Amino acid sequence: MDTVSFLKRLGALLGLALLQVLFLNRINLFGYVTPLFYIWLIVRSDTSMSRSSVLLWSFFLGLAIDLSTGTPGMHAASATLLGLVQPPLINLFVTHDRRDVIRPGRISMGQGAFAGYIFVATVIHHMTYFLLRSIPLEDWFVLVAKVVLSSLLTFVIMLVVDISFSKSDRSRHPVK
Amino acid sequence: MRSLLDFIVRHSHVFLFILLEAVSLVLLFGFNDRQKLAFMTSANSISGTMFDWRAGMESYFSLKKENEMLVAENSRLHGRLLELADSAVAFQAASLGGGTVMAARVIDNSVRKDDNYITINRGSTDGVGKGMGVYGSTGVVGVVMLSGRHNSIVLPVLNGKSSISCKVKGGGSFGFLEWKGGDPYHAVLTDIPYHSDVKAGDTIVTSGYSSVFPEGIPVGYVDAVEPSANGYWLKVSVLLAADMGNLGWVYVYARRPDPELEELKESIPK
Repeated sequence: MDTVSFLKRLGALLGLALLQVLFLNRINLFGYVTPLFYIWLIVRSDTSMSRSSVLLWSFFLGLAIDLSTGTPGMHAASATLLGLVQPPLINLFVTHDRRDVIRPGRISMGQGAFAGYIFVATVIHHMTYFLLRSIPLEDWFVLVAKVVLSSLLTFVIMLVVDISFSKSDRSRHPVK
Repeated sequence: MRSLLDFIVRHSHVFLFILLEAVSLVLLFGFNDRQKLAFMTSANSISGTMFDWRAGMESYFSLKKENEMLVAENSRLHGRLLELADSAVAFQAASLGGGTVMAARVIDNSVRKDDNYITINRGSTDGVGKGMGVYGSTGVVGVVMLSGRHNSIVLPVLNGKSSISCKVKGGGSFGFLEWKGGDPYHAVLTDIPYHSDVKAGDTIVTSGYSSVFPEGIPVGYVDAVEPSANGYWLKVSVLLAADMGNLGWVYVYARRPDPELEELKESIPK
């Protein structure tokens, strides 16, 4: 990863963390639903990145959010887990040549495969996060409700963001 | 070795993952109050269970020592019990104005013969003499018949020659407790007048009319009342208060001699 793309990614990390902490964390629909959209950075990691570097980016992203929300370890642990499963998850939904670089998106993966991919990734991350957050477990029903509803909201946000950004991608690099 | 290194390099991300998760979990359980509390509670219960197991294991190895300690403790307490029995006797003696009481240990006993005898470990040198009453913690046992220097023979309730002056507690009727042989738990109260109001469940106590026993020591409990053959008296079956087959310590009652009373009794024309 060259310096420019490193800095771009670092900027994305800080931007997503700020978005999450300052805006998304304030959303608490019905007391259960909080979208955790910050994992967009991890979900969008392309296949050219080494697995270790995906892990490190995920960890520091989670840590940044933890440190600014006063929940040390929770986001770091769940984001790191997502960082571990993200590369094999791409392979699960698309078969691709090792030399092809895939940056997960509706266009690169296909609509269905991308939706399935972000759905599974979101559920894995949200399940881990809400599970750690609710230790010691008192109410299974509330935990399941939080995981399901928050996952759905995050999923929808990611689909919307992908649609709007991939359009702009295409406008900049028109497909021939 | 080379393949091991290869393996580590190829899976370096797994080790990195473990490291990062470890850091995260340390942060999670170290700095979040709820999670920290949950962690410490479960850690405590785990270590508590471990301690229980260990203590359980160790107790098997120390059983022998434990046993020796218990035996030593037991004999020490037994000695203490004897001391206390003595002081209890002294106390009781002080409260029985009319006489003195001393504790004695039953060293021989029988209940199965027709004429049973009991041997106790106190004799004339301890002040035990013929005609003194002997009773246990639950009730009357018998009367001293012979006194040696250090031992005495007691004529127990379970002997055909025994006859103890008794009365019905709370009522006026009195009679003599006698034993007809056989059943070591029951004796018969004779000479109770036919009209007496005696019923099953009444308590029979010593009358205090003779100098053998102080008044009011439990003898037994009425369990059956029937008229005697000639119809003038009642035959009252009594469940003995003292467990005659299981006597350990007994008390010997010695009434203080009353010269005036003796003199009066002597003067009755024969």
